[in-house]
Amino acid sequence: MNFQDWFRQDRLPHIYCTGCGNGTVINCTLNAVNSMGWTPENTVFVSGIGCSSRAPGYIVTDSLHTTHGRAIPFATGVKLSRPDLHVVVFTGDGDLAAIGGNHFIHACRRNIDLTVVCMNNYIYGMTGGQGSPCTPLGAVSTTTPYGCNEPPFDLAALAVAAGANHVARWTSYHVKELTKAVRDGLETPGFSLIEAVVQCPTGYGRKNKLREAGAMVGWMRDHAVLRQRWQRMQEAGEPLPPGAFPVGEFVRRNLPATGVPK
Amino acid sequence: MKLMIDETRCKGCNLCTLVCPYKIFQEGTTPNRRGVVVPVLDRPERCTNCRLQKLYGRVLCGVCQMICPDQAIRWVDEKPYNPEKVVIEY
Amino acid sequence: MQGNTACAEGALAAGCRFFGGYPITPSTEIAEHMARKMPKVGGVFIQMEDELASIASVIGASWTGVRSMTATSGPGFSLMMENLGYAVMTETPCVVVDVQRGGPSTGQPTRAAQGDMMQCRFGSHGDISVIAVSPASVQEMYELTAKAFNLADRYRVPTFVMTDEIIGHMRERIEIPDAVEIVPRRPLEKGSLPFAAGEDGVPGFPAFGQGYGVHVTGLTHDERGYPSSTDPHVHERLVSRLVNKVEGARQEMADFEVTNPDAEVVFISYGAPARAVAQAIHDMDDERVGHLRLRVVWPFPDFALALFKSARVFLMPELNLGQMAREAAGHTNVPVISIPEIGGELHTPDRLIACAEGYL
Repeated sequence: MNFQDWFRQDRLPHIYCTGCGNGTVINCTLNAVNSMGWTPENTVFVSGIGCSSRAPGYIVTDSLHTTHGRAIPFATGVKLSRPDLHVVVFTGDGDLAAIGGNHFIHACRRNIDLTVVCMNNYIYGMTGGQGSPCTPLGAVSTTTPYGCNEPPFDLAALAVAAGANHVARWTSYHVKELTKAVRDGLETPGFSLIEAVVQCPTGYGRKNKLREAGAMVGWMRDHAVLRQRWQRMQEAGEPLPPGAFPVGEFVRRNLPATGVPK
Repeated sequence: MKLMIDETRCKGCNLCTLVCPYKIFQEGTTPNRRGVVVPVLDRPERCTNCRLQKLYGRVLCGVCQMICPDQAIRWVDEKPYNPEKVVIEY
Repeated sequence: MQGNTACAEGALAAGCRFFGGYPITPSTEIAEHMARKMPKVGGVFIQMEDELASIASVIGASWTGVRSMTATSGPGFSLMMENLGYAVMTETPCVVVDVQRGGPSTGQPTRAAQGDMMQCRFGSHGDISVIAVSPASVQEMYELTAKAFNLADRYRVPTFVMTDEIIGHMRERIEIPDAVEIVPRRPLEKGSLPFAAGEDGVPGFPAFGQGYGVHVTGLTHDERGYPSSTDPHVHERLVSRLVNKVEGARQEMADFEVTNPDAEVVFISYGAPARAVAQAIHDMDDERVGHLRLRVVWPFPDFALALFKSARVFLMPELNLGQMAREAAGHTNVPVISIPEIGGELHTPDRLIACAEGYL
């Protein structure tokens, strides 16, 4: 099966804007799911609310499009009562870190066997571009018109600290690495978070001088620093370039997990 | 295999133009019927996947297909064609 | 057996195999009993991080085809409202036990009340319709909880067991039947649309993992399950069907007890005050005083009021400031007098007798 077969062809083209990174991340996730040999009959996608969470509506499997921020407890219910089903959660940065923050850290603590793909576009895209907890300091959005004055969350660091078994961050430019990271997450028993930094040209890009889709993708390519290099630079005391962020696999461990099929 | 862009889906974001290692995709100039400026292909025979997918049995490179947010890029089998002689009477 | 324990036992007998809960007085005993018993029957118990996660996990589990429930009280009930609206919209069967306590807000955690009756019907946003049962004894806690699962599965709607701290914490002797009637969900026929319904307005249930490929969403959706939130006709069809499938089945699911149908002064009650009314009727021993005891409270059985042809006045003792009295008053021309009792103490039979004699 090709990953294209996982789409509901009668529902395409989808509602995403021109150049939206969500489309890319869905491609990578479905590629990884397909390469695991899973079938649409034993896979379930769960999502919250937002642009990222519209994804399951375009995929042929059983899917649950739930309320804002609550994708993870819905997925917990599905997984615990049918541990043999494979459950993948699509969510966004606001959905996961703002309203869903509590559920996020408890899922990491519980280490429930889910794979969460968080499409972090630094903004609340679907509702028109309001600031999210991941909006960088100084960035402009409709609710932070004078520049964001709150420091953003580092979702990967949160997940590592809360006890997830596998945490990785890539961008929608690094499609091959993202697919591999999602596949690693699907294979790892226990909670795995794959944070995909994506471009939102309409919501975030237009207000922050990254109007074209290609411009923001180029920005991600230039500011993503591999985690090992980031660590080396920190240890050597070198100054980190402004706006840069580490990408790669942050942790892969074997803490006790719940909901793993026996 | 032939590389083709599905014009009913392409929204003209030009991400494929950014990532192709062989610079096969170039920015288009004219809008099509939907008003979208679809990228044009510059000698798509240079695409590794077009030439070698049948040989290796899997998708090679394929970054354009993965990064396209609208799932508008795919490869189709080229139908074998016989060149025909055409006689023009004048 | 304690009321809460009987409720949990009734659920287990009805086939409940998933409990996702959060401790809150006075419903904690249900969660504790489930924590002990669920693994023994091969079910799943999980204590979630808050009530929103509890009801979310219950709905998720219900979609895999498993009967699932949760138990809470007033403050937790308020938290669950958004996801309960989601359950109504997606037609997910689930059972929520609300062991009501003094409200509003933190109120009286260890005293009884019936202050959530309107909330269970109108708490979530939008036009919804749900089913609520109200047990008045420990035996009914067992029976009505089991019945709630059948009602939830039959009509694909969240069903509430509205009890209170008195019934939840009292201990009485009960008789446990050998087997409880289980009416399972009707599965969807392969090939038909997941949200298209026949005459009764209830579609078949497409459980996850069986190849249906159903997309479940809280957005307004058409019969295929795909979001189509801008078309007014789709929305009208969907929401009307959701409301009418329950409201239209009022007669079918009605469950009430009538005493002295020719009475002039009639008590209407449900839950704990029904016990005080029963004692009052017994002490007065007067045929002019009757009693309508509701077991299924929502949808409200308005036709039951018409059974009392000689009634001059309806008296409704409630542990709130007249919530259901307001509902009853809308269905009859006979005056409905509310007898509120907030503060946590039950109505005394003497007080009820005095009220009734005032109208005779």
